[in-house]
Amino acid sequence: MNMEAPALLVALEGSAFGDAIRQSVWLYPTANVAHVVGLALFAGAVGVMDLRILGAFAATTPANVIRPARAAAAAALVLMALSGSVLFTAEASHISLNPVFQLKAALVGLGITNALLVGPALRRALSDTPAYVPLPGRVRTAAAVSLAVWLTVAASGRLIAYF
Amino acid sequence: MPHALIALILAALLTLPAGAHHGWGSYDAKNPVTVVGKIETSKFENPHVTLTVRASDRVWTVTLAPPSRMMTRGALENIVAVGNTISAYGYPSTRDANEMRAERITVAGKTYEMR
Repeated sequence: MNMEAPALLVALEGSAFGDAIRQSVWLYPTANVAHVVGLALFAGAVGVMDLRILGAFAATTPANVIRPARAAAAAALVLMALSGSVLFTAEASHISLNPVFQLKAALVGLGITNALLVGPALRRALSDTPAYVPLPGRVRTAAAVSLAVWLTVAASGRLIAYF
Repeated sequence: MPHALIALILAALLTLPAGAHHGWGSYDAKNPVTVVGKIETSKFENPHVTLTVRASDRVWTVTLAPPSRMMTRGALENIVAVGNTISAYGYPSTRDANEMRAERITVAGKTYEMR
């Protein structure tokens, strides 16, 4: 039942950075707050972007909505990665063995890969698609995958504490 | 290509090893215990303050609140210091027979709520 965490993660948890996170009264709660605020920003940006790609708000020119939303999502993702690494470091050895965390980490990788892979096709489509014209199927598929993956990431993030 | 990638990652997920983690959902609230004894180790750390307490039956790992909440409740680091005698009422873990999550603690006649 007790599996060994990778030595690297045991070392990370036991590092001076790990000690500092655990011993500071405010660092860990601050990272927790930053993580959930980052999630709210990220979910808003991703939701607007993916829904527009899927055909919502059709009266808008896609590029005018999707470009700033994609930039905001990327910025929010950086905030979540930074705050998340603080939360992770404090308990790296335990968390890395948590099956829901493993699921979440894999899905984060999938979500980022999906977003990067669709980038070129999305940029091409945004350069010449006017309002009311559907975006290409390839781009819409990626948006549907994105919504499903990121919502599952959010749910699994909250569920880590219960497994 | 994206479909192949998704299939690959889903296949990888199915082979993930099962972990061993003490989550908050895994405490037996139907069978509360009171652990009384001397504090042997004390970590006043995030995400939860944890003690080990030598009781008559075993050495318990006692999980308390986060440090910030402990401080607002008046359960400062010196209250849960090594050597103090503590009484901790709470729920035993269903995963680790030697761990419990305290609902409240009493030290030197004063009771502190953890929730």
